[in-house]
Amino acid sequence: MTEVLKIDGLSAGYGPLRVIHDLDLVIWPGERLGIVGLNGHGKTTLIYAIAGLTGWQRGSILLNGEQIGRTRSQGAGRYTHQIVRKGLAIMPQGDEIFTGLTVEEHLDSGAFTREAWRDRKTRKERVLDLFEPLRKLMKTPVGRLSGGERRMVSIGRGLMTDAKLYLVDEPSLGLAPKLGQSVMEALLAIDLEDSAMFIAEQNVALLEGRVDRVIGMHAGKLKGEASTTLGIG
Amino acid sequence: MEIAQILSNAIIVAAIYGLIAVAVSITWSSLGLINLGYGFVFSFAGYWAWLTAQHLSEWPPLIAAAGILGGAVGGVIICLVVFIPLHDKPNFTTRGMIGTLAISLIGSQALLMQFGPRAKSLPELFGSWQVDVAGMALTSDKIGIVLCSALMLGVVVIWMKGSRRGLEIRAMMMNPHAASIVGIGIRSTGIYVMALTGAMAGLASVLLSQTYYIAPFSGLTPLIKGVSIALCGGLGSVQGAVIAAMMLGLTEAATSRFLGGQYVLITQFLVIIMILIVRPHGISGLLDKAREQ
Repeated sequence: MTEVLKIDGLSAGYGPLRVIHDLDLVIWPGERLGIVGLNGHGKTTLIYAIAGLTGWQRGSILLNGEQIGRTRSQGAGRYTHQIVRKGLAIMPQGDEIFTGLTVEEHLDSGAFTREAWRDRKTRKERVLDLFEPLRKLMKTPVGRLSGGERRMVSIGRGLMTDAKLYLVDEPSLGLAPKLGQSVMEALLAIDLEDSAMFIAEQNVALLEGRVDRVIGMHAGKLKGEASTTLGIG
Repeated sequence: MEIAQILSNAIIVAAIYGLIAVAVSITWSSLGLINLGYGFVFSFAGYWAWLTAQHLSEWPPLIAAAGILGGAVGGVIICLVVFIPLHDKPNFTTRGMIGTLAISLIGSQALLMQFGPRAKSLPELFGSWQVDVAGMALTSDKIGIVLCSALMLGVVVIWMKGSRRGLEIRAMMMNPHAASIVGIGIRSTGIYVMALTGAMAGLASVLLSQTYYIAPFSGLTPLIKGVSIALCGGLGSVQGAVIAAMMLGLTEAATSRFLGGQYVLITQFLVIIMILIVRPHGISGLLDKAREQ
């Protein structure tokens, strides 16, 4: 069984700033992994480093056995679309949306592979089954939606292709506790099969007992690991 | 009847410069590039059309197609030489502007060396008939110019709304960072954008050659007007560019009727300055905010 993601000695940052320090991480197929840490300790940067969006980075990143990490000092985002096409779905924090596109166009924009584009209708249905409230908003520009609806759109967009690895950045950030709860529920309801999911979150309570593993992140390093079936408490 | 005459002239000027303005606008908002290379694309496409008319056939659709194709090729050249090497480097906006300006100058100089300084003229594409509408004579070329550019603009808008590539381009216009997150390649989209906008400049070139001649540096005035109309309309907004093109077309037609052709540039830029004083982001500069972040 090959790892979905295998990171070896990853360092990354922006300009003179080093955010991720020599980080190693393995994610197995079918696994839901929670990364917990405070603001500014590198959760988002780790996601961006996997996608090749940081200012610079070095170290090895294997996605399904394929090398997607490279040592580079510039060119943020230059190879991101190629990495994404290899099976990465990124569900970024709330504001990475296209305010002028409608919800429907938004979901379409997530279907970037040829097969996904061809049967985007059935895939959209699948997303709508997960997020019922979006059904009547299909023709509304995303800029007019509420925070929770936007989060649903951004997660739904990530579900439009068959990714090997879903990277979810702070799904509950800025949402009312109840909404955050239901977004998390939707994430847990997704059938992973042999893909894997990586959830970065500040709120441990939301993850506890529901994902397979939780790892703490502190100052750009992973600290301590717990299998949540045993409880972290 | 004078007003009707001025209006019809205004619409024709607006149709041609509007095409370039929309092209400039789309390039800026999706790629973040102020493309000053349209001057070269414009003349380049004109020479393609002229060569086709000389050597292949004088069938009007073929000449127009040659101009559009030439413009698209010119756009792709600029994309390959300037946009792709520079787009993720620091200070891209300034460097891109200088790079495209350099292409414009070098390209026009190369055209001068190849074809000489003598201006070329294209055959009449739309025949030479005329109809009277409400006592006003509308010649065939005027009707043809307006129809062609409206058709091109319509096709571009429908394509941007309906197709997958159009969706990618619109996503890039709204949020380039999020676009790369969903797997839209900046460089491949850049090629589509530049080919599309180049084709628009190419058509504008063929249409303008019905009134003026094709010369190595004939693209300079349309470029300046196109960029200033795009600025005026609010970079990044297609409607804004169309409205601004109408206003400046009206200014041009009225000035050349009442004051004389030599004052056109003066009044035009006065109007542009006034618009930008009242609305610094242009007539409908909605996207500026997204770009400034």
